[in-house]
Amino acid sequence: MDAREPTVAEATVAELVVAVQGGSRAAFGSLYERFHRVVHAVALARVPACDAGDVVQDVFADVWTKLARLREPAAFPGWILAMTRNRATDVARRRRPIDVAGDLAADLAVAPPPRVEAAAALRAIRDLPDTYREALIMRLVEDLTGPEIAEHTGMTPESVRVHLHRGMKLLRERLGGEGGP
Amino acid sequence: MSEADRSDYLFDKTGEDPAVAELEALLGGYAHRAPLREPPARRRRHRSITAMTAAVLVMAAVAAIVIWRRDDGAAGCPSAGAGFAFAVAGGPARCGGGVALQGTLPVGAWLETPGGAVADVRVADIGQLTVYGDSRVRLVGTGATGHHMELARGKLAARVTAPPRLFVVDTPVASAVDLGCAYELAVEADGRTRLRVTSGVVSLEGHGLVAYAPMDTEVLAAPGRGPGTPVAITAPDKLRAAVARFDGGDPAALRAILEVALARDTITLWNLLSRTAAADRAAVFARLDELSERPSSVRAEDVLAGDPGAIERWREALDDDWSCPGCGQKSKYKK
Repeated sequence: MDAREPTVAEATVAELVVAVQGGSRAAFGSLYERFHRVVHAVALARVPACDAGDVVQDVFADVWTKLARLREPAAFPGWILAMTRNRATDVARRRRPIDVAGDLAADLAVAPPPRVEAAAALRAIRDLPDTYREALIMRLVEDLTGPEIAEHTGMTPESVRVHLHRGMKLLRERLGGEGGP
Repeated sequence: MSEADRSDYLFDKTGEDPAVAELEALLGGYAHRAPLREPPARRRRHRSITAMTAAVLVMAAVAAIVIWRRDDGAAGCPSAGAGFAFAVAGGPARCGGGVALQGTLPVGAWLETPGGAVADVRVADIGQLTVYGDSRVRLVGTGATGHHMELARGKLAARVTAPPRLFVVDTPVASAVDLGCAYELAVEADGRTRLRVTSGVVSLEGHGLVAYAPMDTEVLAAPGRGPGTPVAITAPDKLRAAVARFDGGDPAALRAILEVALARDTITLWNLLSRTAAADRAAVFARLDELSERPSSVRAEDVLAGDPGAIERWREALDDDWSCPGCGQKSKYKK
């Protein structure tokens, strides 16, 4: 009988969470590998690309220091994504142009976006309802499949499928054509 | 055929959907690839560690008080109130003439870090500065229309989440105007300034010159000359040396720049359009036109005449590649 402990690569998310709560940096690194893309997608749905990476690092710094408060390890996906939404919303609020008079108003556009076509497509996704835009960014930007999105968000695969298809239908309409982007 | 039947590729990548594949290729440049940063220290609850920490804190406090008393009664900085909150690790800093491990940097006061110390300064609600050892920074002003600091010597790293031009750091020879995200700024004893942009864009300005520096570029500014021409951090030494000679007043160095410049150096060439005239500008234009795709709205004659609008429109087209190399399928760099 094989009684060995699972490695971090084999461990479930709940097992990794327990290990991180016990101080395991290897388990923490594995959690990062599994979740950094969904965290980035949730952030990118709300803040400029150049801020989304910082949100990811800030969220994982919080995970390291606050994970002991999570009583149900299996609830980790929902917990980290909720934390990401809060953090990204704070950043987006600070990004909002301030209300000042005069010439400064002309300077209040955010930093120039990457490629025009890519920025336009991302903007169109961001304009979709929350549930669709997060799923579409996970799929189209972070290259996660529907089953992987389900595993890392706690949604059922069928819900993910519905969100992706409905979101894609809306996106096609907004990008103005049958042919996509 | 239903939407679901047609688009399995969207869900699990089985089958084909060219429109989805095109979007994947277009948006893939935004994907997150950064490694995990070192996590912060956790609070430990072991009694021995707690006791040790308390002992260190008591010693630090005693040392601070002793040094403070030797300070001829300097007032120092307040612990709270208007200004930028700061905290120092690795030894007490001097703030407003007094000694402090933490406090608030008020308008007009200097914060000086000793060697080996690092101060974290909160820039209102828009960002964070890391002030490294042997540095001297001052809060010049703060308000709804902007936040203004001065770095007299040493080095800082800034990370700002705010509208462009809201945060400015002066050095003895130039001003770093934040246009979005993160950069490092270092000032040597003679005022020589080095800017390195790690994310977003920074404008280094002074002596009537503006250096537009996007992510992964560096700019040097020298006393009496203002900001030099930006170079990519991957630029070879030969190009850097030629740029340094050109910025130092040797127009003959332009030829060497143009010979060495490749697609990664379009940021250098674009900045040179505004720093040259006549035949020199024409030579810069020709090389930049070879290395990048000039938008149809940017007419050659306008660029050669130094029309700021035309030069800006070309920058806007190039910005996509400077800000996000590899984003999307098309590049404005010619292969």
